[in-house]
Amino acid sequence: MSNSHLFLQSGFIRTPLQNGLGRYIPQLQRITLKFCKNQGGSRGVRDFIESDLMDFAKNNPGTVVYLKPRRHRSPCMVAEYLNGEREYLSCHEFSRDEVHKWLSYMCTRSGIPVMRFRKYQHTDYPSIQGVWNPFTHQAPEINLAQYPNDILSKPANQGPTATEQLIEIFKKTQIKDPIKPEH
Amino acid sequence: MAALWKTCHQCLRYGLAKKSIYPSTSVINVISQRNYKPHWVAPTLREFKRRKDVEDDRNGGPKIFHRSTFLEWNYDAEIFAFSNRLGEKFNDSTLRTALTHKSYIERETVRLSAIGVDTNLQLQDNEDLATAGGEMISKFVNGYLRAVFTRAPEELIVAMHDFLTSTSNLEIVAKHIGLGDLMLCSDFPCKSETYVKSFKAVVAALAESSGEERARIFVQDLVVTQLYGLDINELWNPADPVGNLTAILKREGKAEPDFRLIKQSGSNSILAVYYVGVYSDKNFIAEGAGESLEIAKEMAAREALKHFFHTEDSMKALPFGRQLKDIQSKIAQLENQPNLPLSKWISDKVTSAVH
Repeated sequence: MSNSHLFLQSGFIRTPLQNGLGRYIPQLQRITLKFCKNQGGSRGVRDFIESDLMDFAKNNPGTVVYLKPRRHRSPCMVAEYLNGEREYLSCHEFSRDEVHKWLSYMCTRSGIPVMRFRKYQHTDYPSIQGVWNPFTHQAPEINLAQYPNDILSKPANQGPTATEQLIEIFKKTQIKDPIKPEH
Repeated sequence: MAALWKTCHQCLRYGLAKKSIYPSTSVINVISQRNYKPHWVAPTLREFKRRKDVEDDRNGGPKIFHRSTFLEWNYDAEIFAFSNRLGEKFNDSTLRTALTHKSYIERETVRLSAIGVDTNLQLQDNEDLATAGGEMISKFVNGYLRAVFTRAPEELIVAMHDFLTSTSNLEIVAKHIGLGDLMLCSDFPCKSETYVKSFKAVVAALAESSGEERARIFVQDLVVTQLYGLDINELWNPADPVGNLTAILKREGKAEPDFRLIKQSGSNSILAVYYVGVYSDKNFIAEGAGESLEIAKEMAAREALKHFFHTEDSMKALPFGRQLKDIQSKIAQLENQPNLPLSKWISDKVTSAVH
């Protein structure tokens, strides 16, 4: 976690109003492009408005586009989402393509503030196996086991002891006598 | 300086000023880890909060303005975008009526007469539409639930219906389709009832403009989907599950439920667990676990009821959207045809019923 993340909220991935489960509703409800008609910093925004804005508005009829010329101020875009969030982006000295790129980014977002994900997957779906108890998914052979039981009385993860391992190694190194007949 | 201001602004937005409209999710299966933050972070946040509180006290609450008071606001464009966003075709005048509240008309009339203008406003309020819409939502939700939960008793259907059509649920839906800025009403910040009324009126307006079929799909897509991710067995708590199970088995001509202790562990400790199975005529029905014999018995009876009603924990996920295409006619048919109530529930009857 770096210093730029100090005030970043953390949380889980989620979607507003189960969007896309029934139908998909584009979440960007309105976008305001603020720019100056004279200054060079707004050049890209002006170019974008001249050539690409109509196509953008036609392709996104669910988004209201507002243009707000203001004299001698740096350009910016303000996106407002259905969940009530507002996103501000400075477009100072952006090229036409950059404006287009950032606008499509704003369009495809859900509006939930950028956050540090605690996990990359999440579900609110309730458990499908019920509350766990010690008998959940128990092996069925335990129903028929006779007690006291040697295997079940031992720890489950117990491996061979050092002595047993040494004996095993010793057995492996023994050379069989070819002359001695086996019986 | 600018960077510091930006940081402050972010803090106020994300950390302090903003109250999230999402319900907080319960944190399960998170490996706890310690986060080391510099020592100045907490005092800084505290100072920001103090300044924010001082400002709010001075203004008598946080400073908020209705979106329509902004310079960049075009109501016609907003209405156009609203219908396109939802992918529905609305009759323009009906939609405008659905968004106009009685309180708005009253306020405007008073305001205009105060400045001496003729007060013959050509506005209609949404009272009638809201009443019609409320009935429609209720009908559509019931139809869906009855078509999907064919074996559930009517009591469970009613519990789910009440949850889906509750003020809190409909308010969330209304907020998330952007009704907050579009409603014409005199209260600001708007009350929950205003949101709910507008949403109901919008549903009625849709039925009037594009037909009841579209309105049904609209309600299924926006309202019923809120059932996703919920444990429906938590919505309805049948009183006396053992008694209900006995009654059902008796009606079906089977023997009384026989509860048997299958396994137990840790008796006389706070982590005791008893595992009880339910049998009838020596046939296994269900099993449940609990920290005492009584609770385990009740849990087993509940599991048996879930098994009968097909609402087990491991039941199939609910169908939504395109998956409902084939059963739309069935949903429409079942809107006014209640399921069997718990007092009459028999599995043979349910299976032999029309749906």
